[in-house]
Amino acid sequence: MRGFARLLAVACWRESVTWWSLRSFLITLIVDQSVAPLLGLLVWTAAAPGAHGVTSYYLALAAVQLLTVSFEQHTFANAVYDGTFADTLVRPQPALLGAVATNLAIRFWYGVFGLPVVVAAAAATGALPRPAALLAAVPSLLLAMALRFCLTCGASFSAFWTQRAHGAVSLMETLLFLLGGMAAPLALLPGPGAAVGRLLPFWAALGAPAEVASGQADVLQVLPVQLGWLVVLVGAVALLWRRGLRRFAAVGG
Amino acid sequence: MTTSSATPAVLADGLGMDFRAPVRPPGLRAALASVVRPRYRTVRAVRGLEFALRPGEVAGFLGPNGAGKTTTMKMLAGILHPTAGTARVLGRVPWRRERSLLRRIALVRGSRPLGGPEELTVLDTLRFQRLLYEVPDAEFRRNLAELGELLELAELMGRQVRALSLGERMRAGLAAALVHRPRVLFLDEPTIGLDVAAAAAVRAFLAGYAERTAATVLLTSHHMPDVEALCRRVLLIERGRVRYDGALDRLAAELAPHQLVRVTPAVAGATAEWERFGTVQERGEGGRVALRVPRAEVPRVVGELLARLPVAELAVEEPPLEAVLARFHQEDAE
Repeated sequence: MRGFARLLAVACWRESVTWWSLRSFLITLIVDQSVAPLLGLLVWTAAAPGAHGVTSYYLALAAVQLLTVSFEQHTFANAVYDGTFADTLVRPQPALLGAVATNLAIRFWYGVFGLPVVVAAAAATGALPRPAALLAAVPSLLLAMALRFCLTCGASFSAFWTQRAHGAVSLMETLLFLLGGMAAPLALLPGPGAAVGRLLPFWAALGAPAEVASGQADVLQVLPVQLGWLVVLVGAVALLWRRGLRRFAAVGG
Repeated sequence: MTTSSATPAVLADGLGMDFRAPVRPPGLRAALASVVRPRYRTVRAVRGLEFALRPGEVAGFLGPNGAGKTTTMKMLAGILHPTAGTARVLGRVPWRRERSLLRRIALVRGSRPLGGPEELTVLDTLRFQRLLYEVPDAEFRRNLAELGELLELAELMGRQVRALSLGERMRAGLAAALVHRPRVLFLDEPTIGLDVAAAAAVRAFLAGYAERTAATVLLTSHHMPDVEALCRRVLLIERGRVRYDGALDRLAAELAPHQLVRVTPAVAGATAEWERFGTVQERGEGGRVALRVPRAEVPRVVGELLARLPVAELAVEEPPLEAVLARFHQEDAE
Protein backbone atom coordinates (compact mmCIF):
# COMPACT_ATOMS: atom_id res chain seq x y z
CA MET A 1 0.00 0.00 0.00
CA ARG A 2 2.87 2.35 0.83
CA GLY A 3 4.48 1.43 -2.44
CA PHE A 4 1.28 2.24 -4.33
CA ALA A 5 0.89 5.58 -2.53
CA ARG A 6 4.46 6.50 -3.50
CA LEU A 7 3.88 5.40 -7.07
CA LEU A 8 0.66 7.43 -7.24
CA ALA A 9 2.38 10.47 -5.75
CA VAL A 10 5.18 10.31 -8.32
CA ALA A 11 2.67 9.69 -11.14
CA CYS A 12 0.71 12.76 -9.96
CA TRP A 13 3.90 14.79 -9.91
CA ARG A 14 4.73 13.68 -13.47
CA GLU A 15 1.28 14.66 -14.69
CA SER A 16 1.38 17.95 -12.76
CA VAL A 17 4.62 18.88 -14.50
CA THR A 18 3.04 18.03 -17.83
CA TRP A 19 -0.04 20.14 -17.15
CA TRP A 20 2.04 23.02 -15.82
CA SER A 21 3.69 23.19 -19.21
CA LEU A 22 0.20 23.37 -20.73
CA ARG A 23 -0.85 26.21 -18.41
CA SER A 24 -2.27 28.47 -21.12
CA PHE A 25 -4.50 25.63 -22.29
CA LEU A 26 -5.31 24.88 -18.65
CA ILE A 27 -6.56 28.44 -18.12
CA THR A 28 -8.85 28.20 -21.15
CA LEU A 29 -10.23 24.94 -19.72
CA ILE A 30 -10.84 26.60 -16.35
CA VAL A 31 -12.69 29.48 -18.01
CA ASP A 32 -14.72 26.92 -19.97
CA GLN A 33 -15.65 25.01 -16.82
CA SER A 34 -16.61 28.24 -15.02
CA VAL A 35 -19.02 29.44 -17.68
CA ALA A 36 -21.93 27.14 -16.76
CA PRO A 37 -22.06 28.02 -13.02
CA LEU A 38 -21.63 31.73 -13.77
CA LEU A 39 -24.40 31.55 -16.35
CA GLY A 40 -26.61 29.79 -13.80
CA LEU A 41 -25.79 32.50 -11.31
CA LEU A 42 -26.80 35.28 -13.70
CA VAL A 43 -29.97 33.55 -14.88
CA TRP A 44 -31.27 32.58 -11.45
CA THR A 45 -30.33 35.91 -9.85
CA ALA A 46 -32.46 37.59 -12.51
CA ALA A 47 -35.23 34.97 -12.58
CA ALA A 48 -35.62 34.57 -8.82
CA PRO A 49 -34.32 37.77 -7.27
CA GLY A 50 -35.72 36.91 -3.86
CA ALA A 51 -34.37 33.37 -3.77
CA HIS A 52 -32.16 32.85 -0.77
CA GLY A 53 -28.48 31.99 -1.25
CA VAL A 54 -28.40 31.70 -5.07
CA THR A 55 -25.12 33.59 -5.29
CA SER A 56 -23.35 31.63 -2.58
CA TYR A 57 -24.70 28.36 -4.05
CA TYR A 58 -23.45 29.03 -7.57
CA LEU A 59 -20.06 30.27 -6.39
CA ALA A 60 -19.71 27.13 -4.28
CA LEU A 61 -20.85 25.13 -7.31
CA ALA A 62 -18.14 26.77 -9.44
CA ALA A 63 -15.55 25.63 -6.89
CA VAL A 64 -17.02 22.11 -6.80
CA GLN A 65 -17.05 21.99 -10.60
CA LEU A 66 -13.35 22.92 -10.73
CA LEU A 67 -12.38 20.36 -8.12
CA THR A 68 -14.45 17.46 -9.40
CA VAL A 69 -14.19 17.77 -13.16
CA SER A 70 -12.90 14.63 -14.89
CA PHE A 71 -11.53 14.06 -18.36
CA GLU A 72 -11.19 10.30 -18.65
CA GLN A 73 -12.75 10.42 -22.12
CA HIS A 74 -9.60 12.26 -23.19
CA THR A 75 -7.06 10.45 -21.03
CA PHE A 76 -8.21 6.86 -20.65
CA ALA A 77 -10.48 6.43 -23.69
CA ASN A 78 -7.97 8.02 -26.05
CA ALA A 79 -5.26 5.73 -24.67
CA VAL A 80 -7.45 2.75 -25.59
CA TYR A 81 -7.99 4.16 -29.08
CA ASP A 82 -4.36 5.02 -29.81
CA GLY A 83 -3.02 1.77 -28.35
CA THR A 84 -0.98 3.27 -25.51
CA PHE A 85 -3.29 1.54 -23.02
CA ALA A 86 -1.86 -1.79 -24.19
CA ASP A 87 1.60 -0.61 -23.14
CA THR A 88 0.42 -0.01 -19.58
CA LEU A 89 -0.77 -3.62 -19.37
CA VAL A 90 2.81 -4.81 -19.83
CA ARG A 91 4.02 -2.78 -16.88
CA PRO A 92 3.79 -3.84 -13.23
CA GLN A 93 1.39 -1.07 -12.32
CA PRO A 94 -2.34 -0.63 -11.78
CA ALA A 95 -3.63 -0.08 -15.31
CA LEU A 96 -5.63 2.97 -14.22
CA LEU A 97 -2.67 4.64 -12.51
CA GLY A 98 -2.13 7.13 -15.33
CA ALA A 99 -5.82 8.10 -15.54
CA VAL A 100 -6.07 8.62 -11.77
CA ALA A 101 -2.83 10.61 -11.65
CA THR A 102 -3.92 12.85 -14.53
CA ASN A 103 -7.30 13.38 -12.90
CA LEU A 104 -5.70 14.51 -9.62
CA ALA A 105 -3.09 16.65 -11.39
CA ILE A 106 -5.72 18.51 -13.43
CA ARG A 107 -7.86 19.11 -10.35
CA PHE A 108 -4.81 20.39 -8.50
CA TRP A 109 -4.07 22.99 -11.16
CA TYR A 110 -7.76 23.86 -11.51
CA GLY A 111 -7.73 24.56 -7.79
CA VAL A 112 -4.53 26.60 -7.94
CA PHE A 113 -5.68 28.79 -10.84
CA GLY A 114 -9.44 28.76 -10.40
CA LEU A 115 -10.17 28.81 -6.68
CA PRO A 116 -8.61 32.25 -5.97
CA VAL A 117 -10.95 33.73 -8.60
CA VAL A 118 -13.99 32.04 -7.03
CA VAL A 119 -12.95 33.19 -3.54
CA ALA A 120 -12.40 36.74 -4.80
CA ALA A 121 -15.83 36.71 -6.45
CA ALA A 122 -17.43 35.43 -3.24
CA ALA A 123 -15.67 38.13 -1.21
CA ALA A 124 -16.71 40.82 -3.68
CA THR A 125 -20.36 39.74 -3.62
CA GLY A 126 -20.45 39.15 0.12
CA ALA A 127 -21.22 35.47 -0.46
CA LEU A 128 -18.32 33.95 1.45
CA PRO A 129 -19.46 30.71 3.11
CA ARG A 130 -19.46 30.29 6.85
CA PRO A 131 -16.33 28.44 8.04
CA ALA A 132 -18.46 25.74 9.73
CA ALA A 133 -20.42 25.08 6.53
CA LEU A 134 -17.21 25.06 4.54
CA LEU A 135 -15.68 22.52 6.89
CA ALA A 136 -18.80 20.37 6.76
CA ALA A 137 -18.63 20.40 2.96
CA VAL A 138 -15.14 18.90 2.85
CA PRO A 139 -16.15 15.20 3.23
CA SER A 140 -19.02 15.77 0.81
CA LEU A 141 -16.60 17.34 -1.68
CA LEU A 142 -14.19 14.41 -1.40
CA LEU A 143 -17.03 11.99 -2.07
CA ALA A 144 -18.20 14.11 -5.00
CA MET A 145 -14.67 13.95 -6.44
CA ALA A 146 -14.73 10.17 -6.24
CA LEU A 147 -18.28 9.98 -7.64
CA ARG A 148 -17.52 12.23 -10.60
CA PHE A 149 -14.42 10.20 -11.38
CA CYS A 150 -16.48 6.99 -11.25
CA LEU A 151 -19.20 8.44 -13.50
CA THR A 152 -16.75 9.75 -16.11
CA CYS A 153 -14.49 6.75 -15.90
CA GLY A 154 -17.44 4.35 -16.21
CA ALA A 155 -18.72 6.17 -19.28
CA SER A 156 -15.18 6.26 -20.71
CA PHE A 157 -14.90 2.49 -20.36
CA SER A 158 -17.31 2.33 -23.29
CA ALA A 159 -14.08 2.82 -25.29
CA PHE A 160 -13.57 -0.93 -24.85
CA TRP A 161 -16.67 -1.59 -26.98
CA THR A 162 -17.17 1.44 -29.20
CA GLN A 163 -15.30 4.26 -30.88
CA ARG A 164 -17.71 6.75 -29.34
CA ALA A 165 -16.69 7.01 -25.69
CA HIS A 166 -16.70 10.80 -26.02
CA GLY A 167 -20.41 10.62 -26.85
CA ALA A 168 -21.15 8.48 -23.79
CA VAL A 169 -19.32 10.94 -21.54
CA SER A 170 -21.09 13.84 -23.24
CA LEU A 171 -24.45 12.28 -22.40
CA MET A 172 -23.35 11.79 -18.81
CA GLU A 173 -22.19 15.43 -18.62
CA THR A 174 -25.56 16.58 -19.95
CA LEU A 175 -27.38 14.62 -17.26
CA LEU A 176 -24.98 16.09 -14.73
CA PHE A 177 -25.79 19.58 -15.99
CA LEU A 178 -29.55 19.03 -15.95
CA LEU A 179 -29.94 16.95 -12.81
CA GLY A 180 -26.82 17.77 -10.84
CA GLY A 181 -27.85 21.26 -9.79
CA MET A 182 -26.05 23.18 -12.52
CA ALA A 183 -28.98 24.17 -14.76
CA ALA A 184 -31.00 25.01 -11.68
CA PRO A 185 -30.51 24.56 -7.94
CA LEU A 186 -32.58 21.51 -6.98
CA ALA A 187 -34.37 23.60 -4.35
CA LEU A 188 -35.89 25.65 -7.17
CA LEU A 189 -37.18 22.66 -9.15
CA PRO A 190 -40.95 22.31 -9.26
CA GLY A 191 -42.97 19.47 -7.70
CA PRO A 192 -41.17 16.31 -6.70
CA GLY A 193 -38.22 17.23 -8.94
CA ALA A 194 -36.07 18.32 -6.02
CA ALA A 195 -36.79 15.22 -3.95
CA VAL A 196 -36.08 12.87 -6.86
CA GLY A 197 -32.99 14.84 -7.90
CA ARG A 198 -31.50 14.50 -4.44
CA LEU A 199 -31.63 10.74 -4.79
CA LEU A 200 -29.69 10.66 -8.07
CA PRO A 201 -25.93 10.23 -8.45
CA PHE A 202 -25.64 13.43 -10.52
CA TRP A 203 -26.56 15.69 -7.62
CA ALA A 204 -24.40 13.61 -5.29
CA ALA A 205 -21.44 14.21 -7.64
CA LEU A 206 -21.94 17.96 -8.13
CA GLY A 207 -24.65 19.92 -6.35
CA ALA A 208 -24.51 18.21 -2.95
CA PRO A 209 -21.24 19.69 -1.64
CA ALA A 210 -22.20 23.11 -3.03
CA GLU A 211 -25.49 23.01 -1.10
CA VAL A 212 -23.65 21.99 2.08
CA ALA A 213 -21.03 24.74 1.63
CA SER A 214 -23.70 27.38 1.05
CA GLY A 215 -25.63 26.23 4.09
CA GLN A 216 -28.64 24.90 2.17
CA ALA A 217 -28.30 21.21 3.01
CA ASP A 218 -27.37 19.23 6.05
CA VAL A 219 -24.20 17.24 5.51
CA LEU A 220 -25.59 14.37 7.58
CA GLN A 221 -28.43 13.96 5.09
CA VAL A 222 -26.14 14.32 2.09
CA LEU A 223 -23.37 11.90 3.06
CA PRO A 224 -25.51 8.72 3.17
CA VAL A 225 -26.74 9.40 -0.36
CA GLN A 226 -23.22 10.02 -1.59
CA LEU A 227 -21.81 6.97 0.18
CA GLY A 228 -24.60 4.81 -1.19
CA TRP A 229 -23.92 5.93 -4.73
CA LEU A 230 -20.21 5.52 -4.24
CA VAL A 231 -20.71 1.87 -3.31
CA VAL A 232 -22.98 1.34 -6.33
CA LEU A 233 -20.71 3.19 -8.77
CA VAL A 234 -17.49 1.58 -7.57
CA GLY A 235 -19.18 -1.80 -8.05
CA ALA A 236 -20.42 -0.83 -11.50
CA VAL A 237 -17.04 0.58 -12.53
CA ALA A 238 -15.26 -2.55 -11.28
CA LEU A 239 -17.66 -4.74 -13.26
CA LEU A 240 -17.27 -2.64 -16.41
CA TRP A 241 -13.51 -2.67 -15.95
CA ARG A 242 -13.32 -6.46 -15.70
CA ARG A 243 -15.57 -6.96 -18.71
CA GLY A 244 -13.83 -4.24 -20.67
CA LEU A 245 -10.44 -5.69 -19.95
CA ARG A 246 -11.66 -9.11 -21.04
CA ARG A 247 -12.95 -7.58 -24.25
CA PHE A 248 -9.69 -5.70 -24.80
CA ALA A 249 -7.73 -8.91 -24.24
CA ALA A 250 -9.93 -10.58 -26.84
CA VAL A 251 -9.73 -7.96 -29.56
CA GLY A 252 -6.60 -5.98 -28.71
CA GLY A 253 -8.32 -2.60 -28.65
CA MET B 1 9.10 -19.21 -9.06
CA THR B 2 12.42 -19.66 -10.81
CA THR B 3 13.16 -21.28 -14.12
CA SER B 4 15.97 -23.73 -14.65
CA SER B 5 17.96 -23.74 -17.85
CA ALA B 6 15.95 -26.80 -18.95
CA THR B 7 12.66 -24.92 -18.60
CA PRO B 8 11.89 -22.82 -21.65
CA ALA B 9 11.91 -19.09 -20.97
CA VAL B 10 9.15 -18.70 -23.54
CA LEU B 11 6.81 -21.48 -24.52
CA ALA B 12 3.94 -21.37 -27.01
CA ASP B 13 1.84 -24.51 -26.90
CA GLY B 14 -0.80 -24.68 -29.60
CA LEU B 15 -1.29 -20.93 -29.30
CA GLY B 16 -4.16 -19.61 -31.38
CA MET B 17 -6.02 -16.35 -31.71
CA ASP B 18 -9.23 -15.73 -33.61
CA PHE B 19 -10.74 -12.30 -34.01
CA ARG B 20 -14.35 -11.64 -34.92
CA ALA B 21 -14.50 -8.92 -37.53
CA PRO B 22 -17.85 -7.34 -38.44
CA VAL B 23 -18.71 -7.64 -42.14
CA ARG B 24 -21.56 -6.38 -44.29
CA PRO B 25 -22.28 -5.77 -47.95
CA PRO B 26 -22.06 -2.18 -49.20
CA GLY B 27 -25.04 0.16 -49.24
CA LEU B 28 -27.49 1.85 -46.88
CA ARG B 29 -29.87 -1.13 -46.66
CA ALA B 30 -27.07 -3.43 -45.56
CA ALA B 31 -25.87 -0.81 -43.09
CA LEU B 32 -29.34 -0.62 -41.52
CA ALA B 33 -29.74 -4.41 -41.53
CA SER B 34 -26.39 -4.82 -39.79
CA VAL B 35 -27.79 -2.95 -36.78
CA VAL B 36 -30.45 -5.64 -36.29
CA ARG B 37 -28.49 -8.62 -37.55
CA PRO B 38 -24.78 -7.95 -37.32
CA ARG B 39 -22.64 -10.47 -39.21
CA TYR B 40 -19.12 -11.43 -38.36
CA ARG B 41 -16.25 -13.16 -40.04
CA THR B 42 -13.72 -15.07 -38.00
CA VAL B 43 -10.18 -13.98 -38.72
CA ARG B 44 -7.65 -16.62 -37.68
CA ALA B 45 -4.68 -14.46 -36.78
CA VAL B 46 -2.62 -17.22 -35.16
CA ARG B 47 -3.11 -20.99 -35.46
CA GLY B 48 -1.62 -23.74 -33.35
CA LEU B 49 1.67 -21.98 -32.79
CA GLU B 50 4.30 -24.23 -31.19
CA PHE B 51 7.76 -23.14 -30.19
CA ALA B 52 10.00 -22.78 -27.19
CA LEU B 53 12.88 -20.43 -26.45
CA ARG B 54 15.62 -21.50 -24.09
CA PRO B 55 16.83 -19.01 -21.47
CA GLY B 56 19.33 -16.71 -23.15
CA GLU B 57 18.24 -17.59 -26.66
CA VAL B 58 17.76 -14.82 -29.22
CA ALA B 59 15.25 -15.66 -31.93
CA GLY B 60 13.89 -13.73 -34.86
CA PHE B 61 10.19 -13.88 -35.56
CA LEU B 62 9.71 -13.24 -39.24
CA GLY B 63 6.78 -13.04 -41.56
CA PRO B 64 4.88 -10.71 -43.83
CA ASN B 65 2.47 -8.07 -42.56
CA GLY B 66 -0.63 -9.72 -41.13
CA ALA B 67 1.13 -13.05 -40.53
CA GLY B 68 0.37 -12.90 -36.79
CA LYS B 69 3.73 -11.76 -35.42
CA THR B 70 2.49 -8.81 -33.38
CA THR B 71 -0.58 -10.75 -32.18
CA THR B 72 1.73 -13.51 -30.92
CA MET B 73 4.00 -10.95 -29.31
CA LYS B 74 0.99 -9.36 -27.59
CA MET B 75 -0.17 -12.73 -26.27
CA LEU B 76 3.27 -13.53 -24.92
CA ALA B 77 3.53 -10.09 -23.32
CA GLY B 78 0.15 -10.59 -21.62
CA ILE B 79 -1.88 -8.00 -23.56
CA LEU B 80 -4.04 -10.47 -25.46
CA HIS B 81 -5.78 -13.60 -24.23
CA PRO B 82 -5.54 -16.42 -26.80
CA THR B 83 -8.60 -18.26 -28.04
CA ALA B 84 -6.70 -21.55 -28.18
CA GLY B 85 -3.67 -23.17 -26.60
CA THR B 86 -1.53 -21.75 -23.89
CA ALA B 87 1.78 -20.03 -23.28
CA ARG B 88 4.32 -19.71 -20.51
CA VAL B 89 6.82 -16.93 -20.05
CA LEU B 90 9.35 -17.61 -17.30
CA GLY B 91 6.97 -20.33 -16.16
CA ARG B 92 3.97 -18.02 -15.85
CA VAL B 93 0.83 -17.58 -17.90
CA PRO B 94 1.43 -14.11 -19.36
CA TRP B 95 -2.17 -12.90 -19.67
CA ARG B 96 -2.67 -13.31 -15.94
CA ARG B 97 -0.35 -10.31 -15.75
CA GLU B 98 1.19 -11.24 -12.42
CA ARG B 99 3.45 -8.46 -11.23
CA SER B 100 6.25 -10.89 -10.48
CA LEU B 101 6.29 -11.70 -14.21
CA LEU B 102 5.76 -8.16 -15.48
CA ARG B 103 8.79 -7.02 -13.47
CA ARG B 104 10.96 -9.49 -15.41
CA ILE B 105 9.85 -8.83 -18.98
CA ALA B 106 9.82 -5.86 -21.33
CA LEU B 107 8.16 -5.06 -24.61
CA VAL B 108 9.89 -2.52 -26.84
CA ARG B 109 8.00 -1.23 -29.84
CA GLY B 110 9.88 0.66 -32.47
CA SER B 111 6.72 2.55 -33.36
CA ARG B 112 6.42 3.85 -29.78
CA PRO B 113 9.75 3.46 -28.07
CA LEU B 114 9.18 5.73 -25.08
CA GLY B 115 5.83 6.26 -23.36
CA GLY B 116 4.84 8.60 -20.56
CA PRO B 117 4.57 12.36 -20.30
CA GLU B 118 6.60 14.07 -22.98
CA GLU B 119 7.33 17.17 -20.92
CA LEU B 120 9.50 15.21 -18.53
CA THR B 121 13.20 14.68 -19.02
CA VAL B 122 14.72 11.34 -19.92
CA LEU B 123 16.13 11.03 -16.41
CA ASP B 124 12.68 11.68 -14.90
CA THR B 125 11.31 8.88 -17.04
CA LEU B 126 14.08 6.49 -16.03
CA ARG B 127 13.58 7.31 -12.35
CA PHE B 128 9.88 6.51 -12.67
CA GLN B 129 10.83 3.18 -14.21
CA ARG B 130 13.02 2.49 -11.20
CA LEU B 131 10.06 3.07 -8.91
CA LEU B 132 7.70 1.06 -11.10
CA TYR B 133 9.98 -1.96 -11.33
CA GLU B 134 11.19 -1.60 -7.74
CA VAL B 135 14.83 -1.56 -8.76
CA PRO B 136 17.09 -1.09 -5.71
CA ASP B 137 18.88 2.25 -5.80
CA ALA B 138 22.41 0.86 -6.11
CA GLU B 139 21.37 -1.52 -8.88
CA PHE B 140 19.57 1.30 -10.68
CA ARG B 141 22.66 3.48 -10.58
CA ARG B 142 24.82 0.63 -11.83
CA ASN B 143 22.46 -0.29 -14.67
CA LEU B 144 21.95 3.33 -15.61
CA ALA B 145 25.69 3.98 -15.78
CA GLU B 146 26.15 0.98 -18.02
CA LEU B 147 23.17 1.73 -20.28
CA GLY B 148 24.10 5.41 -20.37
CA GLU B 149 27.55 4.58 -21.64
CA LEU B 150 26.44 1.99 -24.20
CA LEU B 151 23.57 4.09 -25.52
CA GLU B 152 25.43 7.42 -25.20
CA LEU B 153 22.70 8.90 -23.07
CA ALA B 154 24.74 11.47 -21.13
CA GLU B 155 23.60 14.46 -23.15
CA LEU B 156 20.02 13.19 -23.40
CA MET B 157 19.40 12.76 -19.67
CA GLY B 158 18.38 16.35 -19.03
CA ARG B 159 16.37 16.78 -22.21
CA GLN B 160 12.61 16.66 -22.46
CA VAL B 161 11.22 13.59 -24.20
CA ARG B 162 9.22 15.70 -26.64
CA ALA B 163 12.42 17.31 -27.94
CA LEU B 164 14.11 14.02 -28.85
CA SER B 165 14.55 12.75 -32.37
CA LEU B 166 13.26 9.27 -33.23
CA GLY B 167 16.73 7.77 -32.88
CA GLU B 168 17.23 9.47 -29.51
CA ARG B 169 13.81 8.30 -28.39
CA MET B 170 14.71 4.75 -29.25
CA ARG B 171 17.95 4.98 -27.28
CA ALA B 172 16.12 6.46 -24.29
CA GLY B 173 13.28 3.94 -24.73
CA LEU B 174 15.73 1.05 -24.68
CA ALA B 175 17.27 2.38 -21.50
CA ALA B 176 13.80 2.72 -19.94
CA ALA B 177 12.86 -0.81 -20.99
CA LEU B 178 16.11 -2.36 -19.82
CA VAL B 179 16.92 -0.47 -16.64
CA HIS B 180 15.26 -3.24 -14.60
CA ARG B 181 17.25 -5.89 -16.48
CA PRO B 182 14.35 -7.91 -17.93
CA ARG B 183 15.01 -11.59 -18.40
CA VAL B 184 12.72 -11.77 -21.41
CA LEU B 185 12.68 -9.03 -23.99
CA PHE B 186 10.10 -8.72 -26.76
CA LEU B 187 11.34 -6.42 -29.50
CA ASP B 188 8.75 -5.36 -32.04
CA GLU B 189 10.42 -3.67 -35.02
CA PRO B 190 13.06 -1.93 -32.89
CA THR B 191 14.71 -0.12 -35.80
CA ILE B 192 11.61 0.99 -37.69
CA GLY B 193 11.98 4.53 -38.97
CA LEU B 194 15.62 4.86 -37.90
CA ASP B 195 18.33 5.99 -40.28
CA VAL B 196 21.12 3.59 -41.20
CA ALA B 197 23.55 4.80 -38.53
CA ALA B 198 20.97 4.85 -35.74
CA ALA B 199 19.67 1.40 -36.71
CA ALA B 200 23.21 0.01 -36.72
CA ALA B 201 23.86 1.51 -33.27
CA VAL B 202 20.66 0.00 -31.87
CA ARG B 203 21.51 -3.39 -33.39
CA ALA B 204 25.02 -3.32 -31.96
CA PHE B 205 23.68 -2.39 -28.55
CA LEU B 206 21.03 -5.12 -28.57
CA ALA B 207 23.50 -7.78 -29.67
CA GLY B 208 25.85 -6.78 -26.86
CA TYR B 209 23.05 -6.57 -24.32
CA ALA B 210 21.71 -10.03 -25.15
CA GLU B 211 25.18 -11.54 -24.87
CA ARG B 212 26.07 -9.74 -21.66
CA THR B 213 22.85 -10.32 -19.73
CA ALA B 214 21.81 -13.69 -21.21
CA ALA B 215 18.31 -12.30 -21.66
CA THR B 216 15.90 -14.25 -23.82
CA VAL B 217 14.96 -12.13 -26.82
CA LEU B 218 12.17 -12.52 -29.34
CA LEU B 219 12.55 -10.05 -32.17
CA THR B 220 10.21 -9.13 -34.99
CA SER B 221 11.64 -7.07 -37.78
CA HIS B 222 11.26 -6.56 -41.49
CA HIS B 223 14.87 -5.38 -41.60
CA MET B 224 17.07 -8.37 -42.35
CA PRO B 225 20.20 -6.66 -40.98
CA ASP B 226 18.48 -6.67 -37.56
CA VAL B 227 17.83 -10.38 -37.77
CA GLU B 228 21.26 -11.20 -39.17
CA ALA B 229 22.98 -9.18 -36.46
CA LEU B 230 21.01 -10.60 -33.57
CA CYS B 231 19.52 -14.00 -34.26
CA ARG B 232 20.96 -17.41 -34.89
CA ARG B 233 17.53 -18.93 -34.84
CA VAL B 234 14.51 -17.71 -36.74
CA LEU B 235 10.87 -18.62 -36.76
CA LEU B 236 9.13 -17.86 -40.01
CA ILE B 237 5.41 -17.42 -39.56
CA GLU B 238 2.96 -17.56 -42.38
CA ARG B 239 -0.79 -17.04 -42.01
CA GLY B 240 -0.59 -17.67 -38.30
CA ARG B 241 1.47 -20.88 -38.53
CA VAL B 242 5.16 -21.55 -38.08
CA ARG B 243 6.52 -22.41 -41.51
CA TYR B 244 10.19 -22.62 -40.57
CA ASP B 245 11.89 -22.92 -37.19
CA GLY B 246 15.62 -23.34 -37.28
CA ALA B 247 19.02 -21.81 -37.86
CA LEU B 248 19.15 -18.54 -39.71
CA ASP B 249 21.92 -19.76 -42.00
CA ARG B 250 19.74 -22.70 -43.11
CA LEU B 251 16.71 -20.54 -43.86
CA ALA B 252 17.73 -19.66 -47.40
CA ALA B 253 18.59 -23.29 -48.13
CA GLU B 254 15.16 -24.37 -46.90
CA LEU B 255 13.16 -21.78 -48.73
CA ALA B 256 15.08 -20.87 -51.85
CA PRO B 257 15.03 -23.42 -54.67
CA HIS B 258 18.01 -21.66 -56.24
CA GLN B 259 21.58 -20.75 -55.40
CA LEU B 260 23.77 -18.04 -56.83
CA VAL B 261 26.84 -19.06 -58.79
CA ARG B 262 29.22 -16.12 -59.17
CA VAL B 263 31.74 -16.46 -61.96
CA THR B 264 34.67 -14.21 -62.86
CA PRO B 265 36.21 -15.19 -66.21
CA ALA B 266 40.02 -15.42 -66.34
CA VAL B 267 40.08 -13.27 -69.44
CA ALA B 268 38.37 -9.93 -69.07
CA GLY B 269 35.72 -9.50 -71.70
CA ALA B 270 35.42 -13.23 -72.32
CA THR B 271 31.92 -14.02 -73.37
CA ALA B 272 29.93 -17.13 -72.82
CA GLU B 273 26.39 -18.24 -73.33
CA TRP B 274 25.55 -17.81 -69.68
CA GLU B 275 21.90 -18.65 -70.21
CA ARG B 276 22.96 -22.24 -70.89
CA PHE B 277 24.11 -22.50 -67.25
CA GLY B 278 21.41 -20.54 -65.45
CA THR B 279 19.48 -17.29 -65.24
CA VAL B 280 21.77 -14.26 -65.25
CA GLN B 281 20.91 -12.22 -62.18
CA GLU B 282 23.72 -9.65 -62.19
CA ARG B 283 26.46 -8.54 -64.55
CA GLY B 284 29.57 -6.79 -63.27
CA GLU B 285 32.85 -5.38 -64.49
CA GLY B 286 35.31 -7.64 -66.28
CA GLY B 287 32.55 -9.95 -67.43
CA ARG B 288 31.60 -11.08 -63.92
CA VAL B 289 28.14 -12.61 -63.68
CA ALA B 290 25.88 -14.01 -61.00
CA LEU B 291 23.79 -16.95 -62.20
CA ARG B 292 20.64 -18.19 -60.55
CA VAL B 293 20.82 -21.97 -60.71
CA PRO B 294 18.34 -24.54 -59.38
CA ARG B 295 19.82 -25.98 -56.20
CA ALA B 296 19.89 -29.57 -57.49
CA GLU B 297 21.77 -28.58 -60.65
CA VAL B 298 24.50 -26.55 -58.97
CA PRO B 299 27.16 -29.35 -58.92
CA ARG B 300 26.61 -30.11 -62.61
CA VAL B 301 26.65 -26.43 -63.61
CA VAL B 302 29.81 -25.73 -61.60
CA GLY B 303 31.51 -28.72 -63.21
CA GLU B 304 30.55 -27.59 -66.69
CA LEU B 305 31.64 -24.02 -66.06
CA LEU B 306 35.06 -25.11 -64.85
CA ALA B 307 35.46 -27.54 -67.72
CA ARG B 308 34.41 -25.22 -70.51
CA LEU B 309 35.57 -21.76 -69.44
CA PRO B 310 38.79 -20.18 -68.23
CA VAL B 311 37.51 -19.22 -64.79
CA ALA B 312 39.44 -16.91 -62.45
CA GLU B 313 37.00 -17.14 -59.57
CA LEU B 314 33.89 -19.15 -58.87
CA ALA B 315 31.73 -19.03 -55.78
CA VAL B 316 28.43 -20.62 -54.82
CA GLU B 317 26.30 -18.52 -52.48
CA GLU B 318 22.93 -18.64 -50.88
CA PRO B 319 20.72 -15.87 -52.24
CA PRO B 320 20.33 -12.78 -50.01
CA LEU B 321 17.88 -13.46 -47.18
CA GLU B 322 15.82 -10.41 -48.05
CA ALA B 323 15.32 -11.67 -51.59
CA VAL B 324 14.40 -15.14 -50.33
CA LEU B 325 11.85 -13.77 -47.90
CA ALA B 326 10.43 -11.33 -50.42
CA ARG B 327 9.94 -14.22 -52.84
CA PHE B 328 8.47 -16.39 -50.09
CA HIS B 329 6.03 -13.67 -49.01
CA GLN B 330 5.02 -13.13 -52.62
CA GLU B 331 4.37 -16.84 -53.17
CA ASP B 332 2.46 -16.95 -49.89
CA ALA B 333 0.25 -14.04 -50.97
CA GLU B 334 -0.45 -15.77 -54.29
